[in-house]
Amino acid sequence: MTEMKADIMQMNRQPVLSGSNLNKTYHSGGRTVHPLQNVSFEVCPGEILGIVGESGSGKSTLLRVISGLECPDSGVLTYKGFHYHGYGPEKTGKFLQMIFQNAYGSFDPRMTMERSLREGSGADRQEILRMICEVGLTEDLLERKPRHLSGGQCQRMSIARALLTHAQILLCDEITSALDVTTQAQVIKLLTEVRAAEDVSIILVSHDLALVSMICDRIMVMQDGYIVDQGKTEDVINAPSDYYTRKLLNSIISV
Amino acid sequence: MDKKKKQLKRKVMIAAACAGVLVVLALLSGVIAPNDPYATNAALIRKGPSAAYLFGTDNLGRCVLSRVLVGARTTIAATFILVAISFVIGILVGMLCGFYGGIVDEVMMRIADLMLAFPQMVVAIAVAGILGGGLGGAMIALGITMWTSFARLARSHTLSIKNEPYIQAARLLGKSGPRILLIHIMPNILEPVLINALTQIGTTMIGISGLSFLGLGVVAPQAEWGSMINEARAYIQIAPWAVLFPAAATVITIIVFNYLGDAVMEYRKADQ
Repeated sequence: MTEMKADIMQMNRQPVLSGSNLNKTYHSGGRTVHPLQNVSFEVCPGEILGIVGESGSGKSTLLRVISGLECPDSGVLTYKGFHYHGYGPEKTGKFLQMIFQNAYGSFDPRMTMERSLREGSGADRQEILRMICEVGLTEDLLERKPRHLSGGQCQRMSIARALLTHAQILLCDEITSALDVTTQAQVIKLLTEVRAAEDVSIILVSHDLALVSMICDRIMVMQDGYIVDQGKTEDVINAPSDYYTRKLLNSIISV
Repeated sequence: MDKKKKQLKRKVMIAAACAGVLVVLALLSGVIAPNDPYATNAALIRKGPSAAYLFGTDNLGRCVLSRVLVGARTTIAATFILVAISFVIGILVGMLCGFYGGIVDEVMMRIADLMLAFPQMVVAIAVAGILGGGLGGAMIALGITMWTSFARLARSHTLSIKNEPYIQAARLLGKSGPRILLIHIMPNILEPVLINALTQIGTTMIGISGLSFLGLGVVAPQAEWGSMINEARAYIQIAPWAVLFPAAATVITIIVFNYLGDAVMEYRKADQ
C-alpha cells in the first residue's frame, strides 16, 4: 500500500511540461541575437514556475516558444511526455493558454467580452457566467468592450478565457506589469486560487523577483538567453548560486 | 475636443446628405427626367435654356437636363460598381498577403508596385484602347490599377494588427487562419479601407468621365457626362450650355464625394 502511494506520488511529480536544450536565434539588421541558449526546464502538475530576468534576457521568447507562437531552432518540447516540437499555436492551445502583458490588446477591440469568451472557448453562457464568477467579475461586464473595462478586470477576463478552454498550463507573460499595486496583488491572489481550484500549472514570467518569490514554487533566472540559476524559491532567494541572481536580489533590497 | 468633434460630425452629415441627394437623383433619373434623353428633334437643335428645356438642347435637339440626369445614373453607378469591385479584390488580396506573407505576397506586391509605377490614367487609356470602346472596357481599364491602392492599404493594416495579442490569443484558441481573417482582421481593417474607398469615388468618376471624353468609355448615344462634354465641345462657342451643365454636374459630384471622404477621415482621426 505504501509502495502504491509512493508510485502515485512519483507519477504526480512527472513533469507536465518540459523543454530540453532549446535554442532560438534572430537575425535583424545585420545583427544576430540569441534569446535562448540551451534552455532546459520542467514544470510539474499544479506547480508555479517563475522566470525572472531583465529585459532582453529571453523570458518572453521562451514563453512564445513554449506556446508554439514561435518555433525553436533546436531542442525538444514535451507535454506529458509527448513531443510537440514544431506544433503551431492552434494545436498547443489545446493544453496551454497564454495570458498577455497587454490585457486590453489581448481582446478584439470590436467584440464584447461575452463574444470574445465564447469565440475563444465555445463555452455556453452558463459556463461563462460560472467562470467569470470564479475570477471575481460580474455578469454586467460581459456586455462591455475591452476599452470599457479596467486593466485588472481585463486581466481577470483573460484568465477566465484561458480557464474556459480547460488548459492544463497557463503561460503568464508579465501579467501584472501594467497594473497598479493593489490590482497586482488581486491578480496574483487570483492566480494562486485558480491553481488550487483548477489544478493548473503556471509559468509566470516577470522582471519582478519580489513578486515571483511570493507565489512561485520554483524560480528560474535568465540572463542573455541562458538559465543562470534555478531551484526551489527559498533556495534561490536564500542561497543564490549565481552572481547575477545575487545582483537581482540586491537590487530589490536596495530599492 | 467635443466641440470640434461635433463640428466634424456636422460636416460629415452635410456631405453625406449632399451625396445622398445626388445618388437619389441618379436613381430616379428615369422618372424625373422631363424629356426623353435620347429623342432627337431637328426643330430644337442647340436651343438655349428655357422653361421647357431648363438646360437647353444639344446638337441633335436632345434635352440636356434629361441627359445630365440619365448620365448621372451611368457615371455614378459605374463609379460605385468599380470602386466596390476594386475594394473587394483589394481587401482580399491585401489581407491574404499581409497575413500569410511568403511568395504570394512578394509576387502580388511587386505587381502592385508595377501598376503604381505608371500614372493611373495612362495605364487606363492604354488598356481601354486595347479593349476597345464601351463602359465595361473603361471600368476594367481603371480597375486594373485601382485594386492596388486598396490591397496595399489592407496589407499594411493587416501587418500592423496580425501580431496584436488578440490575434495571437485567437491562434492559441485554435482559430484557423481564414476564421481569424474573417472574424478578427477584416472588421478591424474595414474602416480605414472603406474611408479610402470613399476618397477614391471622386478620382474614379474623373477616370470614367475622362475615358468617355476621349472616346474610350461610353459609346454614343448613351448619355454619360464625359461623352456629353466630348460631343458638345465641337460647338461650345454656339451652345456653351451643352458643355457647361454636364461639366458642372461632374465637378459638383466629384467635390461632394471628395468632401465626404475628407470629412469622414477627419472625423475618424478626431474620434481616435
